Parts: sequence; C-alpha cells; structure tokens
Amino acid sequence: MPGRKLGIGLDVGSTTTKIVMVDSQGDMLGSHLVPTGASGAVAARRCLEELTKKSGVGTAGIPTTSTGYGRSLVDFAEKSVTEITCHSIGVHRLNPEIRLLIDVGGQDSKVIHIGENGRPTDFELNDKCSAGTGRFLEVMSRVLEVSIDELGPLALQSNSPCTISSTCTVFAESEVIGRIGAGESPKDIAAGVHAAMASKISTLSKRVGVTTPVCVTGGVALNPAFRHYLSKQIGAELWMPDSPQLTGALGAALLSLGL
Amino acid sequence: MTGRSGKEEKAYRPLKMQDFLQQVLFRHVLEGNAASEQGRLAWVTSGFPVEIPVAMGITPTYPEQYGAVVGSQKVGPTICGFAEELGYSQELCSYARSSIGSTSKPEESPLNGLPEPQALLACNNICGTVLRWHDAISQMIGAPVFLLDTPPVEGEQQPHHLTYVRTGIERLIEFLSKTFSVSLEEERLREVAANSSKAISLWTKSLEACKNKPSPLNCADRFTTMAPVVTMRGTEHIIEFYQALYDEVQERVSQGIGAIRDERIRLLWDNIPPWFSIFKFFNGLAKGGVVFPADTYTHAWSGSIEGEDLFKSAATIYSNVYLNKGLQAKVDKMVKLIKEYDLDGFVMFSVRSCKRYSLGQLVSKELVTEETGVPGVVIEGDMVDSRLFNDAQIQTRIDALLEMFE
Amino acid sequence: MSHGVVVEDSRQVPMEPSTSQETILGYVYPHTPLELILAHGITPSLVRESPNAHGGFEASLQTFSCSLTRNLFSQRAGGGLSSLSGLLFPSNTCDSLHNVEDIWRHRFPEDQIFRLTYPAARFDEDSVRFLSEELRIFSESLKNTFGRPLSKDGFLSAASLVNNFRSAAQTLYSCRILDPSLVPYSEVARMVREFLTTPNVNAVRQINESASATSQVLDERGQLGTAKSLQEGLLAGTLGDIEIAAESNTPRVMVVGGMVEPQAIASLFKGSGKSGDDVVVLDLLSFGFKTVFTPQVNLKDDPFVATARSILGIPSEPTQEGLPGRLEFLKRLLSRLLIHGLVVCEQSFCDPDQFEAPSLVKAASEVCVPSIRLPIDPELSDRARLEGRIQSFLETLD
Repeated sequence: MPGRKLGIGLDVGSTTTKIVMVDSQGDMLGSHLVPTGASGAVAARRCLEELTKKSGVGTAGIPTTSTGYGRSLVDFAEKSVTEITCHSIGVHRLNPEIRLLIDVGGQDSKVIHIGENGRPTDFELNDKCSAGTGRFLEVMSRVLEVSIDELGPLALQSNSPCTISSTCTVFAESEVIGRIGAGESPKDIAAGVHAAMASKISTLSKRVGVTTPVCVTGGVALNPAFRHYLSKQIGAELWMPDSPQLTGALGAALLSLGL
Repeated sequence: MTGRSGKEEKAYRPLKMQDFLQQVLFRHVLEGNAASEQGRLAWVTSGFPVEIPVAMGITPTYPEQYGAVVGSQKVGPTICGFAEELGYSQELCSYARSSIGSTSKPEESPLNGLPEPQALLACNNICGTVLRWHDAISQMIGAPVFLLDTPPVEGEQQPHHLTYVRTGIERLIEFLSKTFSVSLEEERLREVAANSSKAISLWTKSLEACKNKPSPLNCADRFTTMAPVVTMRGTEHIIEFYQALYDEVQERVSQGIGAIRDERIRLLWDNIPPWFSIFKFFNGLAKGGVVFPADTYTHAWSGSIEGEDLFKSAATIYSNVYLNKGLQAKVDKMVKLIKEYDLDGFVMFSVRSCKRYSLGQLVSKELVTEETGVPGVVIEGDMVDSRLFNDAQIQTRIDALLEMFE
Repeated sequence: MSHGVVVEDSRQVPMEPSTSQETILGYVYPHTPLELILAHGITPSLVRESPNAHGGFEASLQTFSCSLTRNLFSQRAGGGLSSLSGLLFPSNTCDSLHNVEDIWRHRFPEDQIFRLTYPAARFDEDSVRFLSEELRIFSESLKNTFGRPLSKDGFLSAASLVNNFRSAAQTLYSCRILDPSLVPYSEVARMVREFLTTPNVNAVRQINESASATSQVLDERGQLGTAKSLQEGLLAGTLGDIEIAAESNTPRVMVVGGMVEPQAIASLFKGSGKSGDDVVVLDLLSFGFKTVFTPQVNLKDDPFVATARSILGIPSEPTQEGLPGRLEFLKRLLSRLLIHGLVVCEQSFCDPDQFEAPSLVKAASEVCVPSIRLPIDPELSDRARLEGRIQSFLETLD
C-alpha cells in the first residue's frame, strides 16, 4: 500500500478484547476496547469496525497480529503471538527502562523479565489457580458487599490489615466470612485480602528475580491498594502505563510493523 | 499440684517436665552449633540408625525436628515461602520446604537455621522424599549425602533384604570414617545402643501408662516430650529425662490425675500433628472432655539395637518401622492401640504434604472401624504449612464425630 | 483380536476384555524386566494414562496423590484395564506408588497384583544382588500365578526382540539430533509407545523400517558415522568428543522430565507453532530416552543378574540416588548438542519431578540455556495454556 506504513494489534482476552493501531514510528493512532462476550471472533471484528470509524483510516490490508487467549480466533490476522511477548514489547515501547513486568489479569498472572531489546528473556505464570488473579478480588468484593472499584480505596483506609492465610480462593472466602462474623472491620479485612494477593504475586516475581524498574499492568493494576501492597512486598517502586490494558495490543501492533 | 486461685481452672494440666524439656532441647542446640564448628555435625533423618554416627563421635541434628520448630513458631508459610521462591512447589513436603527455605535464608529463620553440617545422612524407611530433599540441600551447601536404602518390607523381612540393608550399614561406616576421619569401636556402639535402649524403654513405659483412666498424658505432651528420644537417642543424659518423665507420669497415675481435667472421650490420633496449633487444637478439644491417650506417631519409637550382631539388629529394627510397612500393618497397629488403650474413636489427620503417611487413610479409616466397631473422622491440613488448615471445616468434622458419642 | 489392535492410537483404554489367548501383564514403571516377562510367555504392556479418565478415585485417594496414580485408579474404577491379567507395581520408587499399590489391592481384591522392589542406592554389586533376587522372586510368582515357567529359549528370543527395538529406537534418537525434521518426534514417540504396549515383531518391524530409512538418508549425506558415534556416546553416558555444528532456522529444544507421556508432549508442541514438534531435538523422559537407551542384557550371565544389571545401567531416575550425575549429563547434552532451550516437564503432584525441577533449571542456566517449566497432568486439562506457554518460550528463543 502506498503511503505510510501502519500496524494493527488485537488482544483477545477472556474478559475484554482490545485493538491498537500504530504508525511507522510506533506511535498510537487509535485504540478500542470491547467486552469479549461469548465470541472472540465477533469481538475482534467489532473492534476493527470501531477503530476504522474512530481513526478515519481504512483498515483493510493493514498488517495485523493477534495475541491473547483467543488469538487463534482472529481470522484476519497474519500472525499470532503470545501475550507474553506482546506485553513485553508494548511495555518496552512505552518505557524502555523497565526490566520486570508484572501483569495481573482476571484469570491469570504473569511475571516477565524484559531484555534490552524489549523481548522477554524469562517468565513465570500463575495460570492454574485463581488466587493471585482478579478473580480472587472479585470473590472477596462480593463477600464484603462492595463493588470491585470500591475494594481498593476501602483497603487503603486500613493501618492494620488482617492476616488472610489461605492460599486457595475458596478457603480464603470462608476465612473472610469468618472474620466478618467475628466483627472485624471491613477495611482491615479488605487490606488483608490485598496483602495476601500481593504475597502470592511477590513469590512468583522472586522466582524470576526482581530487577528494577518494575512495571505493573493488567486490570488489577488499576487497584491502588494492590499496587501499594505489591510494592511493599517486592521492595520496589511500581511504574504503571497510562493505559495498562492496552499494552498487549500495542506490542502486537508493533510486531505487525515488521510483517 | 497447682494452688487454688480465684480463676477458673484450665481444662488442661501442663507437665512439670516442660522446663526440663526446654533445657534438654537447648543443650541439643548448643551441642549442634559446637559440633558444626568442630567439623563433626551431620543432618540426619528421624528414622536413621543414629546410634552408629553417635558411636563414632558425630553429633546428629534433625531437619524434621527443625520443621516442627518452624511450625510451632508459626512461621511455616514464611520459611516454606523461601523455598517456593527458589522454585520448589507448594505441594512438596513442608518439612523439606522449611529445611530448604531456612538453608536459603538462615538469617531470617528461627534459631538462624540449623548449623552447617559436614554430611547429610538419610534413611528412606520413613519415606522416599528424604533422598530428594537431602539431594536438594546438598546442591545448596555442598555436603555429601549418604543414603541408607531400606526398601519397604511386606510381611516378614526377606534374607536378601536384610543382607542388602546390612551391607548398607557397613558402607555407612566406611562413609563416616572417610568423611569425618573417625572409626567405630564395637564396644562404644554397644554402649550407645544400650543407652538408646534404656531411654526407649522408659519412654515406652510412659506411653503405656496412658492405658490408665484418666490418661496421664495427652497428645501434645507426648509430641513435645518425644523430641529427645528422636534427636538425642544414644546419649546418657536423656535417660535421666525419661526417668523424670516416667516419675511424673507415675505420680499422676497413682493419684488418679489425668492430663485433662474432665476425661470423658478417649480417641486415637493418626499422623503428624499440626505443629502451629498443637496446644490450641488439643486443649480446645480438652475443654470438651476429649483426650488422646495414644497416637501412631509417638508409638513409632520403640525398637532397640541389641544382641550379638549389632549390624544385623540395626538392619532389622530400622527396616521394620511403622512407615516402612504396608497399609495392613498400619491398620493392625491402629486396631491394637484402640483395643489396648480402650479408645472410643479416632481422628486421622490427612497431612497434605506427607504422602507416605497420609495416602491410604481413606481406606484404613473404613478398615479400622470395621475391625474395632468405633467411629472415626478424617480432617485435612498440614503439619507445618498453616495456610492449608481450615478451622471451620475441621471443627465441623470433629463436632460431627463427637456428636456420635452423645 | 490381539491386545495391540484393541488399544487404539487415540489412547482409549479398552473396555472389552480381550478375546485373545494372551496373558497380559500391565506395568506402570518404565524400568520393567520386559525380557523376563516375555520369557514366561506373558506379554508386558505399559498401562497408558488416559485423557478421558475422570473421578472414581475420590473415595480412595486424596487429591495430593500423584496425578498419574489417580488417572490409573480412575480408569480401573471406571471398569477399564479389564483386558489385563495382572498389574505390576514398583516399590521403593516414590511414596504415591508405594501407597497406591496397597490401596488398589484393597479396592480391587480380584485383581492379580505383583510387586517389584527396586534399589534406590548406588548401582554397584550390592544393588545388583538385591535386584536379581527380587527378579527371581518375581519370576517365581509369575510361574505360580499363571502356570508358565521361565523358558531359557524364551529368554533368548525375548532379549533379541527387545534389543532390536532398542537399537532401532536409539538410531532414530541419534539421527534426529542431527536433523529433527527427518522423522517427527511424535512419530518416534508413537512407535516407542506401541512397542511398550505390544512388544511383538510387528512393532519392531515398524520401527526398524523407520530407522533404516532414516539411516539411509544420513548415509547419503555422509553423516551416518556421526549418528553412530552419538548413539554410542549416549549409551555410554559420556558423549566423548562429539559436538554438533548444525545450522538451524528452527529452535533446538530438549525436553526433560519423569513419567510424563511423550506423545502428550509431542502433541503440545504440535499445537504451539509453525515448526510443530520438529523443534524437539531430544527428550530425557522416563518413557522416552531412559527406556530406549537401556543397555542390553548380557546373555552369558544368569538371566536375573543380567536383567538387574541392564535395569541399573540406565541414567538414574529422580526416584534414585545420583542427582549430581544426572545434572552433569544434562549439562553435557545441552552444551554439546547445540540446544537452545530446555523444557522441564513436571507431572502434577509428582514429588520426584517437583524436587528435581529447580536443579534442572539451575543446571541449564549454568550452561546459559534458557528453560521453562511445564506442569502437566494426564488429562491435559490445561492444554491451551500449556501450548501458549510453549509458544511463548519458543518466541523468546527466536
């Protein structure tokens, strides 16, 4: 296609589907996000349509890379690459200093060591167990009868978090119920929940090795209490990009420039 | 006897021996540190024929007992966490994780971890995990591992099995001679074996005194006072300790004093206890009149090396420990304890990180009830990793058992 | 209908009893005395994990029992494994198997259960003596249970059959190190598995043909000599002076682990990228390399001693002494065979695998080879994520 070179990246996650378009410099020209719903393929197409409308650019023929859990469902993508590689490249573009990336999503959590060229050199995944993922916080916010957005600010009000010792979401849930019944304050319980989750992510991070500076992404990164407790546990400041949910799609879009 | 105070009396009577016990254990820690500095310390598994290294002037210290310390100090999750940071799975034995974790970060561990050994001695009569655990430690600190291989015994120990283990003991002596520049005198071994026998015999008498009603000792008492016979077997000074324990036990028996004030239900305990809750858990039950006069863990320490051929005796005794036999042997032992100690039921603790001890409980539970007619319950948890202990779930199951006695 | 035909390629376990006259002894552990069992006129058949086995174990085994044992137990509880005349369990290998054998005997009292106890300690004359006696007792029990005594001639022809299989499989392994695209890894895994399930002339013919064809290709390239040296080196455990100078566009990956199913590993690689299972240069798995590179039985020796020596001649398992040796061997392979990445497989709830994994990762990093860990269960419950994990790893090697 004559004119400038462009790239598109699609990140089909289990909860949301994101699209990003970049120019030949790697700057973002446009993006969109939709809930994935029942069909990743449909969500991907919708994203593409919205992006075309928003950006005013014809997207047909632009090289596209897909990533995320549903990456194989995107039939119009030329290439599919895992989110480990894409998040790494995306974060590297936004902040090339970052050496450790902690991504906590709805269903899994990942810790990635980013090499100097922006590619991952090592990684650890927690993808079998819901404790240590956004799911854990969802379950707990229901028990504490607050919305997921209120959970973090509630926890930040506490100076003495309770100890939640169970590493299993199901057992932790009954532990929290027990503490509510015992009359402990919701803010201390909420704080304990975040501390427990941070502890799990911290252990995962130490297995890769904590090299600063550290970046945190994924839906759970938006939770200020989680960032607070995680930062304490790994003993490092955390940097967060402005749009932490788009880093995977950004990385995929950048890879498209090479296609 | 405790004096009367205005306060309500506790359901549980602590032993006077607890102070003496602390002294003995403290001595063990000091001796371990000294031995390490002098280059004659070995880490040993609980089922190892420790009489042999002791007779050769080597001091043993026990990572399993250290695991119990980590559990009792309630830092199991932290110390195990250090091992998990190195990549060891949370599914693995929590004694092993405590050991690996504390070796990795001794400055952040109770007692600054165990003192550095010059050799690691493992006998797999308690489980196959010990080899892999000690191999992992050896990778970390460089000390060589000696494995005394005691394959599991089914029924009668076969001659080729005995020969194999006996040869293993001979090779153990060669290994120790070379590693520590020491030698074995038969006379010294006889002495150490005799000391060991005396202590075990006194310990066994204390255990058997629990056949009395009320039982002079509860679970927690036996689990704590068992430590010297596990970790200092073969020394003279623990004979004094076990004599004193037996004296106190006999005193209680003669005066009809029980370990708990109001003994109404007598149960058998199976498996290692939850160290992080050892007093809280058993005292909690004591309030309801529940006592545990017998358990399968403390009854494991009963064999003595004796006779003309000490190596053969050692090979026999140490091959035939409780955990080295099959399911039926475990069931037989539990049935025997229930009958001899006149017990009303049993509690089986399914320790998640101990496959050797715990797998089979779902079947043995049925068999024990079938043979004795008494009911039992299985509760789940771990001996060191308190993250796996769900109070509410456990309470429900135990309450359900206790309701059967109403 | 022979047992082999009944067991399909899709790894379904037969539900119908075999109508053949064969006496089939199922076994679980890789280092089973195949020659000895065949010499009794009995067919040894490796019991397969089934991805479709679910539940059935809850009343007998806790969830922390190793996933392999739970899978086998579930199959039996669901009426499977009924074409077997007996089942052989190992003892002194790991705590799950130690306990599960007993539990099995209680739950399925009509099953004929046999036990073979292995030494865990150093492989010298004492261990050989112990294992030979165990094998002799095992042979007696086969005779007494099935009324079939050990035949000397039977032993000779069985040894010949097993040696032919091993020789052909070793050739394929060695050739693939030079060029993995010669034969797909999944093909080799399938043929090995087929022999272990039905050790007969058909299975041997198949693998022999593949080995001959592959050798021919390498011969035409002038590389057959190197392949042969590799084979000898791997068998000896030392590798000598061999080094590979291959140029490769696809990453060269080695897979290490215990009793995971090589075909399952192959299928995960096939699902994770365009190069599929061609990236797998070599495995060090119990049902792969360690079965294939078992030394031959010495026919001049007493059969029990010879068999014991053969079994104890393999590179050690994580269930045995010898971790430093295993790590050295691994490092040698990684550095000499131009390996770009190591995949460490861990059977879910397997103590030997999980204790060994951190040491394997560390050994790989000491020779600057990146690695990932792959937690795997027989049901492949997490297939998509496992494929994703492998794909991510391959992307880091690009």
